[in-house]
Formats: sequence, C-alpha cells, structure tokens
Amino acid sequence: MNEKTNDMLFDLLTKKAVYGLEEAEQGHLDDLDAGTAEMEFRSLELAVAAISTVGLEEEELPFHLRSKIIEDGEHHFAEARTFVSELWPPATSRLSSVSEKDDVSGGSWFGWFGWAAAAMACIALALNLWFTRPQPSVEVAQNKPPVDTPRSLSPTELRDQMLKAATGTIKAAWTIGNVKELTQVVGDVVWSDDSQKGYMRLQGLPANDVAKETYQLWIFDKTQDAATPIDGGTFDVKSDGEVVIPINAKLKTQGPQMFAITIEKPGGVVVSKRGRIAALAKVETQTKPTA
Amino acid sequence: MTQAILQRITDGDGSAVQDCLDKYGGLVWSIARKMLRNSEDAEDAVQEIFVDIWKNAERFDESKSSETTFIAMIARRRLIDRIRYATRRITAESLDDVLLEPFTRGDKDMQVSLEAGQAAEAMRSLRPEQQQVLRLSIIQGMSHQEISEATGMPLGTVKTHARRGILHVRESLGLGGTNFSREATV
Repeated sequence: MNEKTNDMLFDLLTKKAVYGLEEAEQGHLDDLDAGTAEMEFRSLELAVAAISTVGLEEEELPFHLRSKIIEDGEHHFAEARTFVSELWPPATSRLSSVSEKDDVSGGSWFGWFGWAAAAMACIALALNLWFTRPQPSVEVAQNKPPVDTPRSLSPTELRDQMLKAATGTIKAAWTIGNVKELTQVVGDVVWSDDSQKGYMRLQGLPANDVAKETYQLWIFDKTQDAATPIDGGTFDVKSDGEVVIPINAKLKTQGPQMFAITIEKPGGVVVSKRGRIAALAKVETQTKPTA
Repeated sequence: MTQAILQRITDGDGSAVQDCLDKYGGLVWSIARKMLRNSEDAEDAVQEIFVDIWKNAERFDESKSSETTFIAMIARRRLIDRIRYATRRITAESLDDVLLEPFTRGDKDMQVSLEAGQAAEAMRSLRPEQQQVLRLSIIQGMSHQEISEATGMPLGTVKTHARRGILHVRESLGLGGTNFSREATV
C-alpha cells in the first residue's frame, strides 16, 4: 500500500470513528482494505472515545430519565430471564423431569422409596411440631376450635398473635418506593417461615381503582434469584387509613430479605417490570420479636 | 470494583443496572448533551445507549480499554447514528467561544477515567493545530468542513491533523494498530 492510499484509508477510518461514513465512503473503505481496516477501526474508535471524555464536565443524569432507564433495564433482564426459563424450566417442571428420568433409568423404586421416606419424615416432624408447639398457640387453640380460629380472628389479631408467638417471626418496616405520589407509606410486614404466613400493615397506601390496577407483593427470598422474587399475592386497598393484609406467598420462603409492593394491572402479573414500586421493606435482622 | 459492573450485567445481575447508572449515567448524559444539544433528543438517545450497553456488555474486554472508554464508545456510536439522521450543529453564537477555548481543562480537573487523563496528556504533546482540530471535531462535534471554514485551514490540512492526531493518541494509549498505521502518524 503506497503512502497516498494509506493516508486515504486512515482519513476514512478516522472520519468513520468521529462522524460515521456515508454509504459511498464505506464502499470506498471496503475497496481499500476490508480486513485490516476493521481491526484499525476498532482501536481508533476507542481512541476517539477516550478523547471525547477529556475535560468533560459531567452533568448529573436527570432523575426521571434514570427511572426510565432502570425500567428499560428491568425489562431487558426480564426478557433475558424469560429466554433462560424457556431453556431451563422452573423447579416444579424440573422435578417432573427428574421423576421421568428415574422411570427410564429403572431406578424408580428407589426414587419412590426416597420420596415416601421423606414424606413420612415430614409427617413425623409436623406431628412433633404440633405436640411441642409454643404455649401461646396452645392457648389460642384451646380457647377456640381450630376450624373457627381463622374465621373468628381478624388479620390484625392474627398479626398480633404472630408477633407474640415465640417463633422465628421476622419484621421489616415499609419505606417508599419509586412512585412520586406515594411519599407517606408507612407500616411493617411480619412473616414466619415456620408457618409460611405473614401480614402487611400499611398506612398511606391509597385506595386503588380495581378496574385499572391492583397492588402485588413480591418476596425476595435468599433462596431465589433477586430477578425472580416470589409472588406474594395481589390485594386491593378499599379505604384510606391503616390496613392489615394477609400475605399469600405462591412458593415456600426460606429467609425473605426484602418485600416489595408494586402496582400492576388487575389480576397481577407473573413478572413485574417494577416500573411502579409503591413500597419496599428490607429485612435488616431476623429476630424473634418479644411483643 | 469499577471493572466489575459490565461483567455483572453480563451475568444478569439486575442490581448492576443501578451501579452502572451511578457510575456512568453522568458520563453518558454529558456526552449526549454535548453532541446533541437538544435535551429531548439527548434523553431519547441516552435511553437507547443504555439498552445498547446492556446488550453489548459481554463484548467489553478489560485488556483493551477501561469501562469508561468502552461505554463512551458505545454512546458515541449511537449518537453518531442519530446525528446522521438529523441536523445538529453548533450555533453561530457559541462558535467563537469554542474556537477561543484553550485546551487546559485536563490540567486542573479530575478526569473521568485514567484513559481520559492519558488522552489529555497525549493531546498536549500534539502540535497546537492538531490539538485544535481534535478538540473541535471530537469534543465539540464540528465537521471537518466547519473547522476549515472557522479556522481558515485548508480542508485537506484539517483531515491530516485529525488523522495524525488521533493515531498519535491511540498509540500513546497503547490501543494497538498495525505497522502501516504508524506510517500515517508521521
């Protein structure tokens, strides 16, 4: 390559890195040297990028734009997760696959024996827990027939009962999310992994128009990827003031680390875009409340 | 720590989005504002740029550049595409200021990355005309023709200064290049 052609090549490459090229110019570049030009271009593009940051006076990204980008990011990751989940089905499907595999391999009897043993162990454990359960629960059971208990106690009373029980109940305070209008949301969430029950106490969450939207709880459990929190159920708020809502977790939790309430379309969603987060409650410590 | 953000994005770590915005949101926004001027265009462009970043994070190679430079490169690519579909030029009122602006910021301000500091150092070692052409073209976004008209330099000279200046900076930053590219820096 002579000097003139070389200069022409690099004129085009630098122009491409700084301004981009017209179609005809790109064609000219390809004619000059397609292979080497591509390698050269990549490093020139980086050099130009480095120069573009020289003496750059950084302005802060506007808050509303930041929120949009976060929403885009969530959407992008949700799409990626959907793709992954199609390739790798969720846990329940995987269990089915394992059973089928056992049948094919001829090891099903051992598999069934294992499952049966595990089920019996669970029953034994449940009976043991029942007969050795803490005294306050016994009192409740004695005062009222077990069948009547859920009906006769309000969510508020059940929540209080849970807090008084000497079990590993966790409690976390609500803080505001990313919905500009919702700046007064307070209250707490209590949850017991042992009983797989819990309650949200909320104040400042406005009544929702059930025809347009619903609230949905998400539980970020330590056993789950943060990208796929456990659905804690949908709920509606019908009046202002304090409300206590039972949690309806769709999967077993084993150590929630954060709870989030999002605003979704009626009926809720399978994967939230997290565009409108009404409230968040981060679990700081998992302690046994004294009262 | 900084180097880990794009890797975390590649790994699907959703929390890396916030960290990426904390670290590079201002950089991308500032580059967009500089190149597009119009705030609404810049907002649209910055949204597109971050989608590009999520998609291209896996292409980042820390042995070739810093994250800052890589992200600035993705930002510029998108902005160049947008500019090619729209008219964007520095206003006549600001042109004099741009031409008179000395290249001294790099001396006194904290640079956004190590490479930006090195690039500033490399630019200072260029001839004043080359510095001016790089500043006007890359930092201020003027076309070669506009630089020629504004400075009185022949168009061919502007192109030569741009080519040699960029190649010199690339070499100073250790960003690679072939043997015959070195001939072009002379």
